[in-house]
Amino acid sequence: MIELQEVTKLYNEGRPNEVAALGGVSLTIARDAVTVLTGPSGSGKTTLLSLVGLMARPTTGRVFLDGEMISGLPERFLTAERRTRFGFVFQRFNLIRGLTVMENVMLPAAPLGEAYGAVRARAQARLASLGLADKAEIPVEYLSGGETQRVAIARALINDAAVLIADEPTANLDSALADRFLEIVAGLRGEGRTIIMTSHDPRIWGAEVVDRVVEMRDGRVVR
Amino acid sequence: MTPWINRQRSLADYTLAALGRRKGKTFALVAVYALVVFVVASAMLFATALTREADLVLAEAPELTVQHVKMGRHEMIDGAEITKIAGLRGVSSVEGRLWGYFYDATSGANYTFQVPSDPALVPGPGEAIVGEGVQRARRATWEGAPLFLSRFTGDMVKFEVARTLGAESALVSSDLVLLNEADFRAFFDLPDGVWTDLAVSIRNPREIDTVIDKASRLMPDARFVTRDEIRRTYQKLFSWREGLMIALASAAVLAFAIFAADKASGLSADEAREIGILKAIGWDTRDVISMKLWEGALVSLGAFLIGTLGAYVHVFGFGAGLIAPVLKGWSVIYPDFRLAPLVDGMQIATLFLLTVLPYTAATLVPIWRAASADPDQVMR
Amino acid sequence: MIFQAPILALLLVAGLASGVALWSAGFGWVVLRRWDIASGTGRQLGLERTTELVSTLFGLVMLAELAALLLFVYNADRMASLFVGAMCAVGTLNVNGWGFPALYLKIAVFFAAALWLMLDRADRLGRDYPLARVKYAGLVLIAPLVVADFGVELTYFLGLETDVITSCCSKLFTPVNDGLAAEMTGLAPGAALWLLAGGGAFVAVTGGLTLGTGRGHGWLALAGAAMFAVSLAAIVSVISLYVYDHPNHHCPFCLLQREHGYYGYALYLPLFAGTAFALGAGLTSAFHRVPSLAGALPAMTRRLVALALWGFALFGLATIWAIWSSQLILFG
Repeated sequence: MIELQEVTKLYNEGRPNEVAALGGVSLTIARDAVTVLTGPSGSGKTTLLSLVGLMARPTTGRVFLDGEMISGLPERFLTAERRTRFGFVFQRFNLIRGLTVMENVMLPAAPLGEAYGAVRARAQARLASLGLADKAEIPVEYLSGGETQRVAIARALINDAAVLIADEPTANLDSALADRFLEIVAGLRGEGRTIIMTSHDPRIWGAEVVDRVVEMRDGRVVR
Repeated sequence: MTPWINRQRSLADYTLAALGRRKGKTFALVAVYALVVFVVASAMLFATALTREADLVLAEAPELTVQHVKMGRHEMIDGAEITKIAGLRGVSSVEGRLWGYFYDATSGANYTFQVPSDPALVPGPGEAIVGEGVQRARRATWEGAPLFLSRFTGDMVKFEVARTLGAESALVSSDLVLLNEADFRAFFDLPDGVWTDLAVSIRNPREIDTVIDKASRLMPDARFVTRDEIRRTYQKLFSWREGLMIALASAAVLAFAIFAADKASGLSADEAREIGILKAIGWDTRDVISMKLWEGALVSLGAFLIGTLGAYVHVFGFGAGLIAPVLKGWSVIYPDFRLAPLVDGMQIATLFLLTVLPYTAATLVPIWRAASADPDQVMR
Repeated sequence: MIFQAPILALLLVAGLASGVALWSAGFGWVVLRRWDIASGTGRQLGLERTTELVSTLFGLVMLAELAALLLFVYNADRMASLFVGAMCAVGTLNVNGWGFPALYLKIAVFFAAALWLMLDRADRLGRDYPLARVKYAGLVLIAPLVVADFGVELTYFLGLETDVITSCCSKLFTPVNDGLAAEMTGLAPGAALWLLAGGGAFVAVTGGLTLGTGRGHGWLALAGAAMFAVSLAAIVSVISLYVYDHPNHHCPFCLLQREHGYYGYALYLPLFAGTAFALGAGLTSAFHRVPSLAGALPAMTRRLVALALWGFALFGLATIWAIWSSQLILFG
């Protein structure tokens, strides 16, 4: 469903600190599967993840989503595609402090113009399924690490994204919580969602639920 | 339409929460902003109210005033001229007026002396009716304290104060001393049959020019002043002062705009991070701009309301104590009176354009810059 | 010059607008030369992001310009008492030779900006910035107009001298003079009403056809422009008479005064809006065949047509109401 053809990405283009983060990657990511990108730090896996998730446009090369070439689209159309189809869980979770759990979860829906009540009901259901029903009105800074991650997952799924993207999801979790995360991933896969994550955590790419591991080095896919 | 409203509502909700989380900063911004609005609004409301006061005063003035001029200076006019003008077609009445100025050395103030044309206002012999400014200037301790006036060293004339003119009777009555004709002539040592000037009423305003034309042939050494000319002069004077005030205040507006732009571009690390997160979770540049415009709108609305209401109370409740000395005053005695409240749409629109527009313009570019953050920035 | 708060506000708006217009035109020039949608380079991304700023800035400034157009006329009306011979806005605008040009330029800027904003909206519907070049070429063309508006307005205000004896509406809008105003005044009331009805019918027919067939927007735009001209003539020639209840008072500005219930706003606002939308529909329809707009643009044009028809309908209602509620009987 997501296909990258000979994609390159330069940062700080044309300046002395120019970095080639990706050098000619071609990759196809299957629907309804769990894919893990792995490799040492600096290998370009997070950059690849941001291209797969339409967060950034490639410097050269093409990106296809369900057969449509989208790498040349204006940013706002990329955003429009991204926010209804992709959900993101960031390494540092990136919740907004000072807002409650509920407010954080509802944020990605704000620009879409759905009725407040409907969004809220959906958020409530998702929080309940993640065991956070009683935390909805608590400011996010009072949550534990595992709870914070589950709030981030709830937020990623508020627009019913078909694809969940997670960047180093277990980097800040102990092994019990990592297992809990893998359970959630299995559950989401059961709902028919596609999951793409980066990780250099052996617990993740060794896990049973993972369908495919893509290994990267120096901005290229090696396996 | 509904998705649009829902979207705006969500963005406004978020903005309100964000402003609430930064209470201190928000209050400081609104306070400075409101102060700027207050200054500009005070100047505008006050000048407009003054112009209207002057209009009210002039409504009772004669359509045409005739003065005798000799060597380019104002002289007493001969009573014989009255019949000449009264004979012109279109003139409904002509009246001789007596008025003059007197410097009261004891209070250090200039009074305007006048013989009123309204019989109800003519005081009896040895009596005077005074404006409330006169009472204040001579620090009259009680309402009926007699008025002692000294024309030269060793001289002393006493008038009983029959009445004090109320504060509501407007700007130009404040320094008035009203006497009857005999007392006036005696006080200033004027012969009978001369007048300060002549008040001419003309029923049809279209005939004013014709009357002036004919009268100036009869009286080549007279000066003719129409009511409209006086009104224009007042209006010009007040608008000019108002404009000057606002030009001065525009320095404040400019300083404020720079302050606002600086604040908006020097986003705190927290705010920049927040915008980065919003972009990452699917807000578009335009969504962030809209949200920030909501923020600007709420801040502006708050400051605008506070500033304008403050100015309203300041001008109409407290007689514009802070700016009055700059804007009014052709006499030593400033009148102490309440202006009639008067605000119209044009003033509000002008005020809005003069304050909110610079703020919005100054913050827009920094807002856009913050909103165009790369969505993948939070992942790096 | 007369130093007054509304004048300062007007100059502020005009100055700001020309600043924005000049900058946008400079940006437009860069777009015309460097735009390459296929490129994923940082420079192209920067250009695309700057378009967001241009749209927002331009939209905001034009909102201010619209407010300024109203304020300009209202203020001219208010200042009339400062000038010998002036009874309403006409006298103030006549104080020197720049008053009416300033007004006409402001109106031109209003229409140009309205059209540009509709074009911008159309462009945003397409996924590949289909109208980028047209839009920014438009900006390069509009900028001189905005700057000229500022220049003429400034000259006008600087040259306002209160001791000038000016002539007011009763002198300008009278059939015996030469010139356009007199021509409009001299138009017989009956003929004016027939013309107005004809213009309205033209708009209704072309509008209805466009809505029905999705074609012929150019004709609607033409009808809208014609209706605008005919309506202004009719306001001067006959509608004003009904509002004033006076057989010889032809002024199109006194209508805006409080004494006449601000009736002018009920006439002018829908008329200007309707005309702008009709012209806009004609403009956007030219791009219906652009591939990336073929899906969404016709629907938007349709909405513009509907808005235009609403505008003219409201104007028509205001006209009929003015005639119906008047004490004046012109045709007996």
